[in-house]
Amino acid sequence: MNIQELQNKKQDDLFYFIGNDAVESEKIIAPRYSYWKSVFRVFFHKKINIVLLVLLGLILFSSFVMPLIWQYDPYENVRDAAAKNLSPAKAMEYFGGFSFKYLLGTGQFGNSIFYGIFASARTSLLLSIICAAINMTVGILMGAVWGYSKKVDAVMLVIYNIIANVPYILLISVLVYVIGSGFGSFIFALTITGWLSIAFFFRTQVMVIRDREYSLASRCLGTPIPRMVSRNILPFLTSVIVTLLATELPSYISMEVFLSFIGIGLSADIPSLGQMINSAQSAFLTFPWAFWAPVAVASAITVILYVLGQNLADASDPRTHM
Amino acid sequence: MGKYLAKRILFSIFSLLVVVLVVMMLVYSLIDRNVIFQTDDLWNKKSGNDQTYYEYSQWQKYGYLTMTGYSSFLKTKYQALLGDDYVNDANYNADLAAIKSKSNYEKNESIKEFIAEYEGKGYEIKYLERETYKSGRMQGKEKPGYGAYLFAVRENNPFQRLWLYIKGLFTVETVNDVKDTNLTERYIRFEKDPYSGGFAIVGSGTTHKYLLYFDGRFPFIHQNFIHLNLGTSYTKYRGSEITQVITTPQGALDVRTQQYPNMIGTDEYVETAIDFHSLTYNSATREEDRALYPDNYTTSVYHTKGLSMLENSFVIGLAAVIIAYLIGLPLGILMARRKDKLADKIGNLYIIFIMAVPSLAYIFMFAAIGTRVFNLPYKFANAEIIFLAYILPTVSLALRDIGGLMKWMRRYMIDQMNSDYVKFARAEGLSEGEIYRTHISRNALIFIVHGIPGSIIGCLTGAIITERVYAVPGVGNLLTNAINGHDNGIIVACTVFYTSLSILSIILGDLLLAKYDPRISLSDSKGGGR
Repeated sequence: MNIQELQNKKQDDLFYFIGNDAVESEKIIAPRYSYWKSVFRVFFHKKINIVLLVLLGLILFSSFVMPLIWQYDPYENVRDAAAKNLSPAKAMEYFGGFSFKYLLGTGQFGNSIFYGIFASARTSLLLSIICAAINMTVGILMGAVWGYSKKVDAVMLVIYNIIANVPYILLISVLVYVIGSGFGSFIFALTITGWLSIAFFFRTQVMVIRDREYSLASRCLGTPIPRMVSRNILPFLTSVIVTLLATELPSYISMEVFLSFIGIGLSADIPSLGQMINSAQSAFLTFPWAFWAPVAVASAITVILYVLGQNLADASDPRTHM
Repeated sequence: MGKYLAKRILFSIFSLLVVVLVVMMLVYSLIDRNVIFQTDDLWNKKSGNDQTYYEYSQWQKYGYLTMTGYSSFLKTKYQALLGDDYVNDANYNADLAAIKSKSNYEKNESIKEFIAEYEGKGYEIKYLERETYKSGRMQGKEKPGYGAYLFAVRENNPFQRLWLYIKGLFTVETVNDVKDTNLTERYIRFEKDPYSGGFAIVGSGTTHKYLLYFDGRFPFIHQNFIHLNLGTSYTKYRGSEITQVITTPQGALDVRTQQYPNMIGTDEYVETAIDFHSLTYNSATREEDRALYPDNYTTSVYHTKGLSMLENSFVIGLAAVIIAYLIGLPLGILMARRKDKLADKIGNLYIIFIMAVPSLAYIFMFAAIGTRVFNLPYKFANAEIIFLAYILPTVSLALRDIGGLMKWMRRYMIDQMNSDYVKFARAEGLSEGEIYRTHISRNALIFIVHGIPGSIIGCLTGAIITERVYAVPGVGNLLTNAINGHDNGIIVACTVFYTSLSILSIILGDLLLAKYDPRISLSDSKGGGR
């Protein structure tokens, strides 16, 4: 019976029969679902995220491009005693009229705070991105193996219990002292044991997933370990990874600020936010512009990274995709 | 349970030892040993052989190496032969002077003996030749600082250093501590304590006079039987033990109306700050002290008005922790109850602020607000205990801890809120307040409880930034200052101190957790352990 026949048969009815279709009945129709598409749909649904992304883009652009245009030289006015620690108004008066360069006054060497901030932000951002990339990659890979293999777990736990007890500041400062306080060695010092805590956190997550029923079933079917880790376990932990990233990225900026403050940070010839804050901290009540400007920039970067990361982590949790 | 604890404590001690070994290796082998002279004025003043010799003797003090001088070798040799009169012996003086010229040095029998003995023991022989002016008015005279030195040196390996360290960790006072032969009576006994009014254990022949006594200072009961020596400072607190440094009260002298020991029983009183409980033996007691003291226990420290470094940090830390728990937990619960409402949003903003902004930034911010708006003292003055000076550091620490506690309490509460038992309780008709109070928060607290011992014990290690910003004379910057000053003794001491505290807090946390939540069993054997 085709539709026409049915319609003819009972014209006034709202319902009618359809016949069996052998081809259609073989098709499985599920709603189209793409994980990352859903993540970004949820992520961009929040307007604040767009604002923050724009701000982050602005910060990245200005800290990586502006220093190329505005060359920062901390020692350009070092011989000029009158140029030191000038408030923005006085600095502009001293250097002849309005200029972007002296928008935020001068620091203890007569250096331009405004230019310094861009150059410093670049160092801090670069540092945090590189450190986070190294620590996250090593930490996650090691954590996956650590959590998956019980033999590795037994050995690594002993190592972890010992290394985790060595004061972190001591380890970093000794390393910085031995291999120098350049940019590369600073990254080395921050990453040599930095991955360990990430790996430990990740190990616990992997252990939980490893013993889930679907993993067990997969193992019974003979899935090889690398495939188990890469297909069964890691995708499940995407939101955990993003959450980790959200706390890791800003933490290195804070770490650099903190280490510079206690005197074991980057060497003085590399402009960094920590160095700027540290050199201005002793007189933060008398020369507030030299202190609060880098503090504000460091805080802004960390807050933006943190909030964006948290929101991305929320969005990457499949339970929010409904 | 006991077996489990014993096993854990043993493992903790093992890992503590490994940590100390690792740190010693880092500090002693990776850092250039010449850096310790960077800040050393004595080294700067010396030159030539004097300077080289000084370097070796300092390295011995720091624990880098073991060294024996030729003169002390001669001393033991001749003392054994001739007794105390060896100083005037001609052979002895000839041997001692033999190092001054190269030709005598090679011929002298004692020197050969010295070299043979110490080379056999694996020492390296160092001979610093005397240098004289070759020409000019001063010809033949010794150049200043270029006297001759002969000594044997052996590097300590990390295990030797560790062993030396462990050996010196605890010392017990006995009646034979004082080597003075004039001391006739040696005893330890109970006596009436004229300074506290109660009783005290008093020793004679021990280093301290009062071995156990009570006074008005925290912790009110004090002992001198066992001394813990975590390490000796070399640069920062020249020659003092760290345990002494951090527990000795600081600040201005606290003068009281007291009696010297010989005045007791009379109505003679003097104004003095001497702490008579701290008397130690002094074999070279001054004549004027003889009238005041019945014995040779005449060396003492003074009562002061300030707190010790450890007390400062602990008082501030503990106050902050108590405030943080009292405010942070209820706020966390409130945020969970008002999830996605205004209170939750404000709370989240605060949490983001505390979590994301570098702690340095907000501590300085609190400092600026505290000094400008509330007119509180910014820098710490330790001359006397000024209550107001404690407020800003405490508040700074508390505000940080509140953020962390709010975050975790909210998280755990929300996790619990979706549990089946909550739905069941609601179905039973319990009021929301009852559910939150007796069901959810109790279960959420399980995770919080684990951290409580850690946060209390953690107060003993102080706070680095806060103490720096407010110039608190506390223990927080002990390690960072030691690192910057290359003070190996303090670095090792701090490592041991911090590591033992962190191990202790984890164990105590686990025990408290097991106590709070009977479902948790620490040992596998008990109950249905998985």
